[in-house]
Amino acid sequence: MNTRLVIRKRTTQLFLIFACVLFLLGIRLVWIQFVDGDSLREKALQARLREIPVEAKRGTIYDRGGNKLAISVSVDSIYALPPEVNRVENPQEIARKLADILDLSEGKVYDTITKNRSFMWVKRKVTFEQAELIKKADLPGIRTVEESQRFYPKGTLASHLLGFAGIDNQGLEGIEVMYDKELKGSSGRIVVEYDAGGRQIPQALHQYYPPEDGRSIVLTIDQTIQYIAERELDALMASPTNPKSATIIVMEPETGHILALASRPNYDPNLFGQYPSQTWRNIAISNSYEPGSTFKIITTATALEEGVVEPDDRFYSPGYIKVGSERIGCWSNTPHGSQSFAEGVQNSCNPVFVEVGLNVEEKEKGLFYKYINGFGFGNKTGIDLPGEARGIMIPQDELRDINIATISIGQSIAVTPIQLITAVSAVANGGKLMKPQLVEAVVDKEGKTIEKIEPSIVRQVVSEDTAQQEALILESVVSEGTGRNAYIEGYRVAGKTGTGQKAGKGGYQEGKYVASFIGFAPANDPKLVTLVVVDEPQGYPYYGGTVAAPRFKRVMEDSLRYLGVPRQYSQTEKEADNEIKEIHVPDVISLNSDKASRVIRAAGLKPKLSGEGSVVLEQVPAAHSVTKEGSQVLLKLGDKDINEGNVTVPDLTGKRIPASARLLEALGLMLKPQGSGMAVEQRPIPGTVVKAGTSVYTTFRDTTGPAMAGP
Amino acid sequence: MGGAHLQARRKSPDFLIFFSTILLLCIGIIMVFSASAYSSFLTFGDSYYYLKRQLLWAFLGVIAMITTMNIDYKKLKRYVGLIFLLSLILLIVVLLMGQISHGSRRWIGLGMIGFQPSEIMKLSMVMYMARSLAKCGERIQDFRKGLFPQLAVVGLVCALILAQPDLGTAVAIAGTIYFLLMVSGARFSHLAMLALLGVGLVAVAIYFEPYRMERFVAFMNPWESPSDSGWQTIQSLLALGSGGFFGMGLGRSRQKLFYLPERHTDFIYAILGEELGFIGAIIVLLLFFVFIWRGFRVAVSSKDNYGSLLAAGITLMVTLQAVINIGVVTGSLPVTGITLPFISYGGSSLLLSLIGVGMLLNISRHV
Repeated sequence: MNTRLVIRKRTTQLFLIFACVLFLLGIRLVWIQFVDGDSLREKALQARLREIPVEAKRGTIYDRGGNKLAISVSVDSIYALPPEVNRVENPQEIARKLADILDLSEGKVYDTITKNRSFMWVKRKVTFEQAELIKKADLPGIRTVEESQRFYPKGTLASHLLGFAGIDNQGLEGIEVMYDKELKGSSGRIVVEYDAGGRQIPQALHQYYPPEDGRSIVLTIDQTIQYIAERELDALMASPTNPKSATIIVMEPETGHILALASRPNYDPNLFGQYPSQTWRNIAISNSYEPGSTFKIITTATALEEGVVEPDDRFYSPGYIKVGSERIGCWSNTPHGSQSFAEGVQNSCNPVFVEVGLNVEEKEKGLFYKYINGFGFGNKTGIDLPGEARGIMIPQDELRDINIATISIGQSIAVTPIQLITAVSAVANGGKLMKPQLVEAVVDKEGKTIEKIEPSIVRQVVSEDTAQQEALILESVVSEGTGRNAYIEGYRVAGKTGTGQKAGKGGYQEGKYVASFIGFAPANDPKLVTLVVVDEPQGYPYYGGTVAAPRFKRVMEDSLRYLGVPRQYSQTEKEADNEIKEIHVPDVISLNSDKASRVIRAAGLKPKLSGEGSVVLEQVPAAHSVTKEGSQVLLKLGDKDINEGNVTVPDLTGKRIPASARLLEALGLMLKPQGSGMAVEQRPIPGTVVKAGTSVYTTFRDTTGPAMAGP
Repeated sequence: MGGAHLQARRKSPDFLIFFSTILLLCIGIIMVFSASAYSSFLTFGDSYYYLKRQLLWAFLGVIAMITTMNIDYKKLKRYVGLIFLLSLILLIVVLLMGQISHGSRRWIGLGMIGFQPSEIMKLSMVMYMARSLAKCGERIQDFRKGLFPQLAVVGLVCALILAQPDLGTAVAIAGTIYFLLMVSGARFSHLAMLALLGVGLVAVAIYFEPYRMERFVAFMNPWESPSDSGWQTIQSLLALGSGGFFGMGLGRSRQKLFYLPERHTDFIYAILGEELGFIGAIIVLLLFFVFIWRGFRVAVSSKDNYGSLLAAGITLMVTLQAVINIGVVTGSLPVTGITLPFISYGGSSLLLSLIGVGMLLNISRHV
């Protein structure tokens, strides 16, 4: 073949081949730049973007009066940009300085700041001083960023309700976790672009995505009533009763709003990590207990509604009742004998309720449970708190008469405090069962309401007539029956005591009780329902009427007065009032003499000072005792000698634990109590001069014996 | 020049070759500046470090191109042997006393600028083979008398370049000459044998050099070794991918911020694709297509075999390098270290490529 022609032919062929190759390369470009483009672009972006998170400010939690219960404050956090750290000659130096300032181990800090990451936290939420030192040190690759830290300004107040938030401001307990979505907002970030050498690119992407701050929550809680409840719990825990745990709930029956909910033991949400996790548990909603006689309110409502009993129906109790082969005794050693149903309720007479309960079941099988379920037992109330329990009920198909009998008096059924108060609120609210409500509204940063939560009626359990009828009976329980200790002058209190023996393995446990009191006032137009549950009160008496009722009384009286509910004196009360005015002596121990005198005068009493010093060490009559208006209160003064640190040990003889504790605390000493009752012996003996901070071992003994009686 | 007889015979050079070359050159200068400004500022404190040098070489190159465009390739034919010999000597010299850079001896320093003898060899090899094959004629079909002597020369040159070592240039030369042998009429059976041999040799070269092996493995699966050898391929793909259709805008490449190595040389096409997008990348591809099309047209229409073979050789030289470079940048070929003609930064390479284009243009005036 002619060379010339071959050259031309082959050149043309080669051209076609290379044209094809170019075409294929073009296709490859399309593939890379279009098909894979987005993911490649994203990868490239990720490689050079460093994101510094900017936390959203968590919303505030308010009580219903707008008082702040949980707020967010600004604190600094320290972070490292390892690519920048790694560019300096000796990152060890940086690690050493950081470890020094932040009080961390140098090795760990070194590992952190040189890690193969673009961003590492060194330490979150450091102290102001540490942050200042870090800023001043100006270490390469080490920066600070402002974060927010949860702060609970009232300390332990309402801790179980509020819960707490963790290091990342994530809700972990209580309202904080239930409303986490609303409270946390969405975090923002600062995006900075870096070159492969870790240098920030000039004029590059440097965007600030501001965080969206969280919304705020307005609770139905009233700070003052919550405080009153907490105060009574503290007093209860410090009293010789010294129970294992205790709960107080205050509810507004008309709305189901919870005004106070507190339990002991509790914790400080600011330092939640320092408390054992059991203390975080909100026993007011998670603890199931046998309600005992307080449950008779439910039995009564059921029986009245179903017409199996009228208040005036006569009963005779020989002090026990036989159900089948079993014998159920009354709590009282002396039989109540002949009594009307209303009197039976006043007496909390077990045989009466057993009979009534069995009559209800006899009318229609399953009827009693229908009402029990109707009052919300056996189901969660749906309160806005995590960890709510259902309570424990014997399955309906396993129910026998003996179970009906014991349930009638509040045994063989376990309820949560929130279930019980919700159910009793229904009685106080004309038979309407409300869903317990804890959150009133969700508001934005400016306080504008975003969502208002309206009270919700679950169902009408009993008729309004039944409810009113029962309210009158329950009022008589307080005015004439077993609830006498809950009586408040001028307020019509309705209520019921309860003392349940705690069930354990193989039956009821000797000496372990749950004492409780539940009631509402004013009986004719209930504003508040309050429940006091005292778990395992120590010593005697352990009855609801003696342990729980007085606490109930203080919570109720102070709360009603705070709410401005007018007193409605009955005729007999008015007469008594004209004769003598009784006054509760205020507690002025450990106040300075001026202030103590003012408090005494304000209460309508006359202070009389004795002894040298600036602080009240003792008062006669004792705090909380009742005395006539205008009578004298003797105040013994003394000094806490802090400068010298030496203190004279006072005589504690005849004082109870709280009074002893307060006196010693005022002097800078510590009480190590033993037993309960009055102080009978102490070491060191009175008059000894000791160093401040010394413990005074004191033996308390019940010298007076059980003074009060009743369930 | 200037005789009435000559003027009548000489036409104006192929406009499209000239046009595409100058356009590619301009795009190259802009891209070299854009790709290098950030890093050269941080390295040398001068954003214009590479731009200045590229401008100087481009200026010299264009003068050289216009000069050779006006030198009759047939008159130059008689110096081909001498040029080839000089190039061969320089290759030996560089092995003995070249500057070591990145572990190989490729450079001979001349004052402030250095040049690579292998780049000179690229062009003189094409010239030498064109002349040799034209003389050989149909004998090329005979293995012993025709093909073998040519292969011996290519083998010698490639061995010298591999000794530097510079696999990329050796592959470029061997590839160019291989296709030139095809053009000159070598038997397909011989060519197939050679291809097998070439693949074998490359395989051996890869196998015995750990860094080549690494590159090859990384090519097969770049995402598996993102911090080592796959890095370049990955960063190149990230750059192209970031570009999308319209690109991030001139000067706004992010991959040039030390993410992509060899950003103004071997991988400049990736930066171009990132800043100017698919539009820019495809325009460059089309300009190369125009160059190839017109180059081969010159080869087909040249009146003598030497002219045809020289035109084909020069076109192949540019084409092969462009295809391999873009193949590497798009992750379609393993990393070889071949630059993109007219666009990549590189003094001697640019100068010699433009001289080659000058010759091609001169041939186009004689069709």
